[in-house]
Amino acid sequence: MTKPIHRQALKVLISTGHLGTAPSSRESFLLGMAANPDYVVADGGSSDPGPVYLGEDITLGHFAREELELFLTESRKKGIPLVIGSAGDTGSNRGVNEFVSIIKELAQEHRIPKFKIGYFYSEVSKDFLKQKLRNGKELSGLGGFPALTKSEIDLATRVVAVAGIHPFLKLLEQGADVIIAGRCGDINFTAGPCIYHGFPEPLAYHMGKMIECASLVAEPFMGKETIIGTISHDDIKITPYHPQQRCTIASVAGHSMYERETPYYEHTLGGTLDMRACQYEQFDERTVRITQAQWIPATELRVKIEGAKKVGERYMGFVGLRDPHIIRNVDAAIEWCKSAVAKRFAHEQYELFFHVFGRNAVLKELEPVRTTSPHELGIVVEGLASSDTLAEKITDFAVRMFFLVRIPGVKGTAGTAATTKKTMKSSPGYMWNINHTVPIDDPMELFPVHMTEAGV
Amino acid sequence: MAKLSELASTIRSKNAGVNQITFDIIFPDVASYRRVLASQVITRDSITRLFNIPASRISDFVAFDLANAIKFTIYRLRPSGSPGDWDILGCQQYGPLLEVEVPD
Repeated sequence: MTKPIHRQALKVLISTGHLGTAPSSRESFLLGMAANPDYVVADGGSSDPGPVYLGEDITLGHFAREELELFLTESRKKGIPLVIGSAGDTGSNRGVNEFVSIIKELAQEHRIPKFKIGYFYSEVSKDFLKQKLRNGKELSGLGGFPALTKSEIDLATRVVAVAGIHPFLKLLEQGADVIIAGRCGDINFTAGPCIYHGFPEPLAYHMGKMIECASLVAEPFMGKETIIGTISHDDIKITPYHPQQRCTIASVAGHSMYERETPYYEHTLGGTLDMRACQYEQFDERTVRITQAQWIPATELRVKIEGAKKVGERYMGFVGLRDPHIIRNVDAAIEWCKSAVAKRFAHEQYELFFHVFGRNAVLKELEPVRTTSPHELGIVVEGLASSDTLAEKITDFAVRMFFLVRIPGVKGTAGTAATTKKTMKSSPGYMWNINHTVPIDDPMELFPVHMTEAGV
Repeated sequence: MAKLSELASTIRSKNAGVNQITFDIIFPDVASYRRVLASQVITRDSITRLFNIPASRISDFVAFDLANAIKFTIYRLRPSGSPGDWDILGCQQYGPLLEVEVPD
């Protein structure tokens, strides 16, 4: 077991809010590295890109290898740990294995001296969850989801649990130089190392919260630039390394509420970060100092779980409208298409969506603008059915029906919609169906840790 | 009369978990923040009218003094990325807020 070195301050560098989606900016990363951080961290994933990635178990980012190469080579040069959260976007076991393999390949390619990779898995067996239900435990819904049922568990393709700091502490104790994490809370890959080195829990979790999106905490708005969070025993400081960025009280306080329901609390496995009394002050030209976060330990350990179910195979087609009469009557045209499909495929199960760009494709029912008079409209027809063949047939038929739409008063008799290209295959349709918490006895019980070696 | 986009420095929307979208309206100074709060153009009630939703779809509404910000969160009808959703990140839902008129 490795004993943590106790220090006065710990500097954690981060250059991306979502590893792999686009490359980190090399210039500010190297400027940050020149400031001698103690850790490099990055969030590998999120539920934000939607349910398809966990459902299908695929990685979204095309730049994961490129970013990992920068992080690994530079952190190993300085002999400081690299910590990656939620590997492969979703933190599935495949995502973890994929990232561990990439690290090993990079270590070989760059002839990096031997080092230890610690990793942990986050997938949860459905039997474990069903056993909880049989034992009378409630699997409570988050964000408006009803309590989880056995049938929804069965429908999910796979389930991951969201880890706290605990597996990070375990792997650091075991001397990991690189950590590849399964699904974890995005504050925990930073809070873990801070707590491991003996810094106070409230400040450690709050630093995790403030730096998880890298340069989005600073102004002006720039993604993929480096910042460093510095924790001491009584404050945290956030400093950007892009020469044109600075942290201000406004940018940092503004970021504290980013992508969360409330600006005051952050729940994670083991407790709640309470930010109600936080104080922000301008420490120097580009650095903000933050104090006074509180940490409320949980009275009951509940871990968040995530899962998605498949809805069907999916195709999409694109329709362009230029006839002002059809544009004015687009709802009638859509209704005609829908009824034509309903008639032709009366005995089939399918779902059909019409995204009307130029009207309300983006906001749908939330769109306050009810009447517009565009000279063009674009409609994406999205169709789902149980088989690939049927999904393509139905979607393509719906697109063709636009071409042959029957509404009174149409002057054009050669075709009522501009179409091009083949109806396109899309990813299968998935829906988040597990967004719940489950009681557990031990914060490590769902997160088995492993150690391996890489390098030469 | 001014538009909200002329008074606020940041107006954004983003997923808050897979079933909610949160909206942040951040002002550059306390005066413009107080002016908008006092005008009552951004309240639970005005949001239900602007987006044409029942009050039950608003899960949280807070005036966050520390950041000179108004923040509210709504439930989606179906979770993010479900078939039929074209804003998986919820990051374009703030559009209508820019046009809100704030009386002097």
